[in-house]
Amino acid sequence: MREDILNIKNQSIARITEIGSQTELSELKVEFLGRKGKINKLIKDIKRLSDEDKKEAGRAINDTKAAIEQAIQSKIEELETHKLLHVKWFDPTVPGIPYKIGHLHPTTIVVNEMFDIFKHLGFSIIEGPEIESDLYNFEKLNLPKDHPARSLQDALYVEDPEVVLRTHTSSVEVRALSTIKPPFRLVVAGKCYRYEKVNASNNAIFYQFQGFSLQSGLSMADLKGTLFYFAKSFFGEKREFRFRCKYYPEVEPGAGLDINCAFCNKKGCQVCKGRGWIEMLGSGMIHPNILQGMGYDPKKISGFAFGMGLDRIVMDRFGIKDIRSLYNGDIQYDL
Amino acid sequence: MRIPINWLEEHVKLPGKLSELTNRLTYAGHMLDKIDKVNENTVIDLELRGNRADCYSIMGIAKEVSALFKTPLKNVDLLKIKSAQKIKDINITVKSRYLQRVMSVKITDAKIGKSPGWLKDRLMEYGITSINNIVDLTNYVMVETGQPMHAFDFDKVGSDLEIRTAEKNEKIVTFLGDEIVLDKDDLVWANKGSILSVAGAIGGKNHSISDDTKNVLLEAASYDQANIRRTVHRHNLLTDAGLRHEKDLDPNLVELGFCRFLYLLDKNGWGDIAESALDFYPKPIHPWKVSLNYDYLKSFSGVDINKENLKADLKWLNFITQEETAEKIDVLCPTYRTDVKLEEDLIEEIIRLYGYEKIPASVLSLETPENITPDYVNQEIELKNHMIHMGYDEVISSPFVIPDYQKLNFSLSEKASPVTIINRPSPEIEEMRMTLIPSLLGFVKKIINERGEEARIFEIGKIYFQKNDKYIEKRVLGISYWKKSKKGFRKFKGYLDSLIKLMRLADIKFKAIKIPQIYNSYNLILNNEIVGVGGQIDDIYFAEIYLDALLGKSEKQKVNLWQKYPPQIEDLTIKIPKQVEIGKVIQSIKSANKMISKVTFTDRYKDNYTFRIYYQHSDKTLGDKEVEEIRKVIVSAVKKQ
Repeated sequence: MREDILNIKNQSIARITEIGSQTELSELKVEFLGRKGKINKLIKDIKRLSDEDKKEAGRAINDTKAAIEQAIQSKIEELETHKLLHVKWFDPTVPGIPYKIGHLHPTTIVVNEMFDIFKHLGFSIIEGPEIESDLYNFEKLNLPKDHPARSLQDALYVEDPEVVLRTHTSSVEVRALSTIKPPFRLVVAGKCYRYEKVNASNNAIFYQFQGFSLQSGLSMADLKGTLFYFAKSFFGEKREFRFRCKYYPEVEPGAGLDINCAFCNKKGCQVCKGRGWIEMLGSGMIHPNILQGMGYDPKKISGFAFGMGLDRIVMDRFGIKDIRSLYNGDIQYDL
Repeated sequence: MRIPINWLEEHVKLPGKLSELTNRLTYAGHMLDKIDKVNENTVIDLELRGNRADCYSIMGIAKEVSALFKTPLKNVDLLKIKSAQKIKDINITVKSRYLQRVMSVKITDAKIGKSPGWLKDRLMEYGITSINNIVDLTNYVMVETGQPMHAFDFDKVGSDLEIRTAEKNEKIVTFLGDEIVLDKDDLVWANKGSILSVAGAIGGKNHSISDDTKNVLLEAASYDQANIRRTVHRHNLLTDAGLRHEKDLDPNLVELGFCRFLYLLDKNGWGDIAESALDFYPKPIHPWKVSLNYDYLKSFSGVDINKENLKADLKWLNFITQEETAEKIDVLCPTYRTDVKLEEDLIEEIIRLYGYEKIPASVLSLETPENITPDYVNQEIELKNHMIHMGYDEVISSPFVIPDYQKLNFSLSEKASPVTIINRPSPEIEEMRMTLIPSLLGFVKKIINERGEEARIFEIGKIYFQKNDKYIEKRVLGISYWKKSKKGFRKFKGYLDSLIKLMRLADIKFKAIKIPQIYNSYNLILNNEIVGVGGQIDDIYFAEIYLDALLGKSEKQKVNLWQKYPPQIEDLTIKIPKQVEIGKVIQSIKSANKMISKVTFTDRYKDNYTFRIYYQHSDKTLGDKEVEEIRKVIVSAVKKQ
């Protein structure tokens, strides 16, 4: 008798564990706990036992009944939590109904990232006009009419010779220097234009990113620190940078910042034209002639400035080969 | 500039490793562009600094190497010659102030012929084609010293020469055979009948050295940099000579180049040099003084450089130190350093030799200036985020209108004319956009052609125009929408409504207008001001919003909590006659009673419009009777319309 009771207990609990649906569970409940169920049958059977055995068997049957009830109860909870009650076959690999998401232009993504880095360094963001006078685009930047460096920046003219489309964002620097009270740190990102025959690597329109600061006590070390912080934040701690002397008429002393070529690790390849380094940015201390032209005494207040072309950086980041693709609608965002 | 290493080595001792040389030069401002080999000789190509006219030569770079590695320069042989006011048999008259200095000498019994191997090879390594020994030697000396010079056939130039500016339309055929029509600002060498050369740039065909030349007139000169630069660029004459003369060359270099040429000519026995040479140099240039303040050097450069070291460096660069006090030092600049005029120029010299790589990268330690980012910058960043939230992709288009779309390039908001480019590098760079519509249409059509199902694009950029002699740039947001199936204005309008909500400009109203080229056009109006325009071309919907007009107009950002008592909701169908604006009907329903919390348009069948009305009270649930009262008010309000 004792064995029978134990068997029923083990059997029922084992089967409950296997069950996957509410129907099976109900059937099992009837089979064991129903009016004509196995437990009731056991109760009938104990009548035949001695009084002492009856007591013991009765206790065992009650335990078993309670155990089965508890197992059923926890199964019900389990079935509900897993919501297996109604679903028989579920395929999570079925594709969802497409939800169209919007994308920022690659140039905007890069610009936003740069803005964020410079915000940490206390820079504000500004913009300026694209149709610019010769005065603000060249003259006030220590680039008088017959300066040799003008060859590098052939302008598109709206009116010859006084109105141009700005050839660089340095024009915004000049405007800031003449209107904003120092101290300030500013960055600019925007469209610039040059007289250029359009092909895969040259475009008449391009984006430039420029930064500058005017504050008493600024030094070359501040410039270098700012550029390294930016470059490491943007390109990663593992890249190497080279800060070297370079000439730009807008600054004195002038400096260039190069980044190691990621494709050949400084061995020299097609991408870096065998140099091992890629020129990234031009910079320096704002030329004393410019400061003087704005009415500042260069011995009392100093400034630094830096600028870089954005298109190459954007193209590298997103694997775009043709510069024209950036601004002609060729970019396919996923649909 | 290409520097053959063995040539450089003739002038200065080089470090053992080539990379040591090129690295140091690179950090000091002369970046290594590439290395190659010609005739088994290594040639380094350096990207030179535009302000270092003195470095466009082997000897210039040798001086840099000497200072960078602290190793003395080697001796250069020269043939000194007596200077005179005049040369025998020829008058040279200077008629322009653009000439700063000229030296000239007659060489008789010249031995013209092919250049010897050493001369040819050197020029080949640098990149100049060999012509004959005399011409090649002028080029050789130019590359070596940096001083361009020119040799004429003495017997062809006549006895009266002038250095003067050209008459307009005077002509010269260059030794390359090209005809140049001159401008009145161009400086030339001329005789009575013709132009002999364009000064500083190129020689003429008819008076150059040929196999029959017996006597040579050699000249080396220094000109006004700006004038030569204008000429060189006007006529596209960026020759080796032009490249050097368009920069600030030292007039004292004339003598060095001249005497070096004479030495080499004499050594090779290629002619007899006259006893004296013309040296016209009315305003000789002498070394000039620049002062350096030690404290300024330290605060400006950010490094504390040992005084003795920096003085030694300056000496290696041929600056002569003069008076020195505890605070400052005066130095005399060598005249070939035409780039050093100011204290800051001198500081660059000092830190260049000290080493840019040794400048510390300090994090900005000064007080952080206040944030002055103007609102329009944040407005644009915010708007871009709004647009991508609605599933729109950002595009950036060229501000020049594609010729195919030029007929759509008109100002949508005011009487204005387009901004046009005078010097067009290619036909598509002509007219600047006065609206974003042409570029957006083009981009959407591209998506349609690529078999896209849907296009949702936007651009934030400028439109440009000319008005009352002023150039105006206006910031705009352009939005465009197209869908293959389920066409219709309502879908696009839904996006505009959401955008208006995101911008918190609930007061923007739509008003139908007529623009001939655009179907179903309308204005967006805020407080009686036009803030945007929209419409349809083909199946493509678009709108353009003027961002400056919206600045500072947004309502404060707020949140609503769920009301304690739920609304009563019912659908109400109202017959509305044709030509009545549905927006006004909804407005009149909304304003009929303050217990109407929301009205939406759900359906339409012919003239019957169904609206879903939400009746809600903040303190109780409204009963059927109360709702019925409000409904009556609505119906009468709509009837008044």
